[in-house]
Amino acid sequence: MTIEDLQLQADHVLQQLSAEPTSDVSELRTRYLGKKGLFNQLAKVIGQIDPADRKTAGAILNQTKASIEEIIARLTAAGEHQALDWADLTLPGKKPPIGYVHPVSQAMAEITQIFERIGFVRVRYPEVDWDWYVFESLNMPPNHPARDEWETFFVDAPKHPEKGNMVLTTHTSNGQVREMERLGSTPPIRMINIARCYRRQQDATHTQMFHQFEGLVVDKGITIQHLKGTLDYFAKEFYGPEVKSRIRPFHFQFTEPSFEVDFSCHICHGTGKIENEKCKFCKSGWHEVGGAGMVHPNVLKAGGIDPEVYTGFAFGWGVERTYTLKPGLNIDDIRLLYSGELGFLEQF
Amino acid sequence: MNIFIPHHWLLEHLETNATSEEIQRLLSLSGPSVERVETKEGESVYDIEVTTNRVDSLSVRGIAREAAVILQQAGIGAQLRAQNIPEIPAPQESTLPLPQIENDPRLCRRITFVILDHIKHTPTPEWMAKRLRQIDQNIHDSAIDITNYITHELGHPCHAFDYDKIMQLGGLIKVVEAPAGKKLTTLDGVEYATVGGEVVFVNADGDIIDLPAIKGTANTAVDDSTSRIMLWIESIVAEKVRFGSMTHAIRTVAAQLNEKHVDPNLAPAVLQRGVQLYQELCDASIASEVYDDFPSPISPAPISLSTKQVEQYLGISLDQDTITKILQALECQVEWTDDSTFRVTPPTFRPDLTIPADIIEELARIYGYHNIPAKIMDTPLPLNRPADSTFQLELHIKEWLTMLGWQELYTYSMVSETQALASGFTVDEHLRLQNPLTDDKVYLRRNLIPSLSEVLDNNSQRPGLSVFEIAYVYHPDSGALPKQELQLCLVGQKPLREMMGDVEVVLRRLFLKSRIHQESDTLGTLLVSTDGTDWTKCGVLSRLSNTRSALTIELTQLLSQARRHPNYKPLPKQPALSESLTFTVPKKTMVGPLIASIQAADPLIDSVHFEGSYQDNVTFAISYLHPDQPLSSKDIEPIRKNIVTLVESEYGGILVGTLS
Repeated sequence: MTIEDLQLQADHVLQQLSAEPTSDVSELRTRYLGKKGLFNQLAKVIGQIDPADRKTAGAILNQTKASIEEIIARLTAAGEHQALDWADLTLPGKKPPIGYVHPVSQAMAEITQIFERIGFVRVRYPEVDWDWYVFESLNMPPNHPARDEWETFFVDAPKHPEKGNMVLTTHTSNGQVREMERLGSTPPIRMINIARCYRRQQDATHTQMFHQFEGLVVDKGITIQHLKGTLDYFAKEFYGPEVKSRIRPFHFQFTEPSFEVDFSCHICHGTGKIENEKCKFCKSGWHEVGGAGMVHPNVLKAGGIDPEVYTGFAFGWGVERTYTLKPGLNIDDIRLLYSGELGFLEQF
Repeated sequence: MNIFIPHHWLLEHLETNATSEEIQRLLSLSGPSVERVETKEGESVYDIEVTTNRVDSLSVRGIAREAAVILQQAGIGAQLRAQNIPEIPAPQESTLPLPQIENDPRLCRRITFVILDHIKHTPTPEWMAKRLRQIDQNIHDSAIDITNYITHELGHPCHAFDYDKIMQLGGLIKVVEAPAGKKLTTLDGVEYATVGGEVVFVNADGDIIDLPAIKGTANTAVDDSTSRIMLWIESIVAEKVRFGSMTHAIRTVAAQLNEKHVDPNLAPAVLQRGVQLYQELCDASIASEVYDDFPSPISPAPISLSTKQVEQYLGISLDQDTITKILQALECQVEWTDDSTFRVTPPTFRPDLTIPADIIEELARIYGYHNIPAKIMDTPLPLNRPADSTFQLELHIKEWLTMLGWQELYTYSMVSETQALASGFTVDEHLRLQNPLTDDKVYLRRNLIPSLSEVLDNNSQRPGLSVFEIAYVYHPDSGALPKQELQLCLVGQKPLREMMGDVEVVLRRLFLKSRIHQESDTLGTLLVSTDGTDWTKCGVLSRLSNTRSALTIELTQLLSQARRHPNYKPLPKQPALSESLTFTVPKKTMVGPLIASIQAADPLIDSVHFEGSYQDNVTFAISYLHPDQPLSSKDIEPIRKNIVTLVESEYGGILVGTLS
């Protein structure tokens, strides 16, 4: 008998086994692997093989036996499977106790990712800072009426000889000149600064502490078109592809021109109406989210950048405001965010 | 600052067929923002936010002027109506002597007034009363309400003096900076003392007879017995108005307008309109010539710019015609010096236009921001990141902790005195707010534990609640900004071992080993290491009660040690040999150092795990591993002996059972 013949016979045994009905596995085991079983009958022929080929024949036989064992083991397992106890697969899962990432953290993470995808670098700057960075370098000299809008907390500490009072940052815009300084007044700048801010006010829509995110882009050839493009991109990424942005005139001392930024309402799609009734969520078709503008030449100068060569844009919005405009997050009292109210936090 | 504009009052100045919805929408897109349109007494009233730089728009006429330009640009017919206010006629019968005026032109740029006699105190007519109610102003009588009405209509504040009171006080009006400590009583009866530097009017005796541009004083104000009025307009330097108004917290409409550089050129029209109304409503007769002292009118400086600069901001070019048309509609003079450069002279009522960017803003908003395309920058990306860019790891830590059962919190950075004291520092060792809004938020916190503990106290129905926060704490630093430490604080009500297990899992994700160095029964120091040899102090573990513990971690320090990947070790070729050893140890034996000692006893000891304790017995699972050779029980006999000797000599621990 040749090796080839042996291989044929071995294959035949395996094929036969595969075609067996699976009702009685133990009977199969005896019939194939028992003393007088098919495998042992096959193994007897080794005496008829040319001694030079016996090593190969041994390998074929080993392989065949392993395959038979594997098939029988599989059939055994399948048989056991059929014999499992009844189980209720609809039982609710047993959950480990977990906590929840705070909604503000979730919002900041999402905002960060959106801006990082278009090359913004996230930074962090002091939350207790000098008047110079918070106001004066932003084209707001002391006692300027524009400062009235920033209800400022002052820290009881000595004034800096050049940089003035120590204040709690009223906005993330203190990062603008600081970022220009960090980069040695050398654009390109694409900064996103997300931080705690503080204003001296407290009601259902204002908390003494809140969060802002500030974008700053400075380079040669930066125009209003880039600001509009960035706003549109953010609106679609954060609220959904059907949401649009628009800019309207406003005034900030540190940008010129300055804009108010609106995003179209995701409920009435910017029309202000639902079936001829005023949209109750937005009332006008649009939600105001915050300010933006082209960086004022004086701010670039304060950061050591030549406004004749470079232009830039900046925007700064409240994280809480921006986040709660998402569908389903119409939170009527933002003080809840900082209340440690578990019933609220565990919804996020 | 918001201003109410009733629709029909607006239409007296603006000729248009635009609906109030169109006016709201288009004004908001290109001019002042119309926040809402309310219906008051059967008429639309616009509630308009006017920005601080646009004092020219803080009047009915100002809004009409803006609306005319914006509606026209949008293709809706609109025109500013001409102002047909009659000139003030010459005095009718006998004239009254003028008071003597001593102006200081450094403090006051213009004074103009006229004396009106035979004033009748008639009730304010319903048409005027309705408008004043619509703009939320109180109604008095015509003699008083006329001044409020014309201020709102034309945008320059004016004042009515009682002429006889002025004359009785000496007939002199002198413009001075007040010395400190001078008393004055405003027309509503409130007393003030000057701090020095406010601009006031005084008489010959130096008594204050007016707080000009802010509020009248009782000693010269119109009252029910007034029959002669001096209708008066002054133009005090804006910075001085702001100083006086802010110092004494007198935030009248007049002060809020005057501190924003109201155009003194508006004064004659306002005076004329006032006289017209006093004649019509109070039967007044004119008793003097118009006094007008306007020593040095300011002409707005021309601004030069180029079409290239316009393009630099807009990204599109505007042609000469468009530029000229828009700016002229805004009452600017435009002069082209060549094909691409031009000079713009703004009108006197636009002191906000001073630099090229201001002019570009005017062009862009009237051209329409919605007509400018949008695109993302194609400029180079910045590659220079700050060293402390660990935001993603911070987020991971938050996610890991929450999955281990910890709730994230955000609490206020400012704390009460009680909380400040609970932080382990004295109150004086905290930065304090000069002007806190509430008593519970006064000090800048130095530790997050008190804030988080408070939340647990407030949730006492959740005994197992465990919380954490990542936030800055603020350590004072003499003369400099406070040192801001990014703190990760966990306050847990889990069993301490479970809490530390969670922390070890998180640190493991950062490829850090950790151990606690016990300082006392309640205090320990957290040490971390990347390799198990160099240990860095990163935090403090404190037991707050039998059921509550806190761990504060200096996160920046921790993350500076953290790694993103392991130091790969080749897989052992031989299996490790493991066994359990139990020791009876003296009470209060600290297991942490004991494990460290066993681990250090021999290089073949691969790991030492705490398996558990029962009464005074502690059991460790010890695993031995040789990198290349299989170990037999015989091989580890001497190591085991070493361990037993060491535990006995250093810790007084006795092996349970015998060495085989």
